[in-house]
Amino acid sequence: MEEILNNPYVVPLIFTLLIIALFPLMAGYIVLIERKVLADLQVRLGPMRVGPYGLLQPLADAFKLMLKEDIIPAGADKALFWLAPVVSTFTALSAFAVLPLSDVFYIADVNIGVLFILAVSSIGVLGAILGGWASNSKYSLMGSLRSAAQMVSYEVPLGFALVTALMVAGTLSMQGIVYAQLERGMWGAFENFGLMIVPTVVFLIASVAETARAPFDLPEAESELVAGFHTEYSGFRFALFFLAEYASIFVISGIAVTVFFGGWLRPFPNVEWLAMPLNVAFPLLLFIGIGAGCVYLLRGLILPEQRAVLAGVAGLCFLLGAAFAVPMVNEKIIGLLWFVLKVGVLVYLFIWYRGTFPRLRYDQLMDFGWKWLIPISIGALIVNAVALLVLR
Amino acid sequence: MSQLLRTVFLVDLLQGLWATFKNQKPSLAVTEQYPQERPAVAERFRGAPRLNTHPDTSETLCISCNLCALACPEQLIVVTSQRNPETKRKDLTTFTYDTSRCMFCGLCEDACPVDALELTQDFELATFTREGQIWDRQMLEEGPLPTEYKF
Repeated sequence: MEEILNNPYVVPLIFTLLIIALFPLMAGYIVLIERKVLADLQVRLGPMRVGPYGLLQPLADAFKLMLKEDIIPAGADKALFWLAPVVSTFTALSAFAVLPLSDVFYIADVNIGVLFILAVSSIGVLGAILGGWASNSKYSLMGSLRSAAQMVSYEVPLGFALVTALMVAGTLSMQGIVYAQLERGMWGAFENFGLMIVPTVVFLIASVAETARAPFDLPEAESELVAGFHTEYSGFRFALFFLAEYASIFVISGIAVTVFFGGWLRPFPNVEWLAMPLNVAFPLLLFIGIGAGCVYLLRGLILPEQRAVLAGVAGLCFLLGAAFAVPMVNEKIIGLLWFVLKVGVLVYLFIWYRGTFPRLRYDQLMDFGWKWLIPISIGALIVNAVALLVLR
Repeated sequence: MSQLLRTVFLVDLLQGLWATFKNQKPSLAVTEQYPQERPAVAERFRGAPRLNTHPDTSETLCISCNLCALACPEQLIVVTSQRNPETKRKDLTTFTYDTSRCMFCGLCEDACPVDALELTQDFELATFTREGQIWDRQMLEEGPLPTEYKF
């Protein structure tokens, strides 16, 4: 047993399988959260029927997508049509390979981590282009053209913002960036006498465009293009595109968290006396609070099945809270909690933007990318470099 | 200058974000969970027709005068009756009302001299067959019985 675990391939392989198995479920729940938060922003209720307060909706959606007829349009290029969602999903999921989910939970810590993610996410564009081309439909082709142009042009400011952060951190390894922030006792976003805040904002804006989310969701502008490059896709292939979209949201939020917001570190990682309240009391209160909220919501339900599901969720929350009270377990999972919480905040930000801002026109989008974001990011790079040289 | 600062610091966008943020309380939601919560229709809403009966004797109030059938612009009401030789009055035998053609104008209830025919506030008129849309006297007196859902 010991021998197997010491093999350098075994633990990463287990983590890989775990991520591939669990991420679809997680993406489903990100979708549910998105629908619920968006509904709140738009004074609606969102899914309420499947499970208590819509909690089982992702499972129902997954079953629906798997059971649906898989239509390939008559004029489609079958091989490419088959390949496109695979490329999208594959590239989006492979970025997880270098994402440090916590100090122990990561697959690989390579010395070109950020470069790998940028490279892989650039290939993701290929999925969109292939999908739009192979569908043999005007809408798909227009959508894929737009997404290609958009992703390519917003990758530039994204890259410049990352380069600035790497310069400050002094390493390309994702874990190394986190440890550099621990060493300096400061999040990447506030480094360099506050000058890093500009690349942070640029990154946050460009990441929304990079994942083609509102207000930069021109590739799938419903009112003009039906659904963009995946117009002709249905059933499981559509589900793969959907999965890829949410995986890339998670990944790009994960990069932002790792590079700019301290990764899996707790806030103020160098202040010793905060360790107890932030690492033990906070998760305990958080999960017990959620559990208590579920128990409180139980009184609004009548059907026994729904009550059972919600009670199960409450029990799970109490269990998780209890797990954080055990010091040995706490050590292992606290990093994961902070990482997921930070990513959650960024995902909420994405949804919040979607609920607030109207979609940009195509020329506005390109103007904004090329005339504003890229010059600002280059300027920020130069200013940060000078500040590093002169002041540090 | 202040305009420039507003643009640089994205003040308008932040204001927009704040506006949506403070309006996201679930308690503000206006959604009605339909079969659980039923909408309160307007007081003078005209919905499913009903043929009223006497509350004590449960005899029909209809005097078979046929005025409703004459008033109906769609001519969807058919009233048949039989002369009762003892009381010398018309007794109602059948009353059919085709809700599939009804436009709920309410002229029939206006025409009724004894307030027997009335358009109620019920609005769940869907049926599985076209024939189900044609209501007979029993249906008109008892009213529609929509499926009850449990939540």
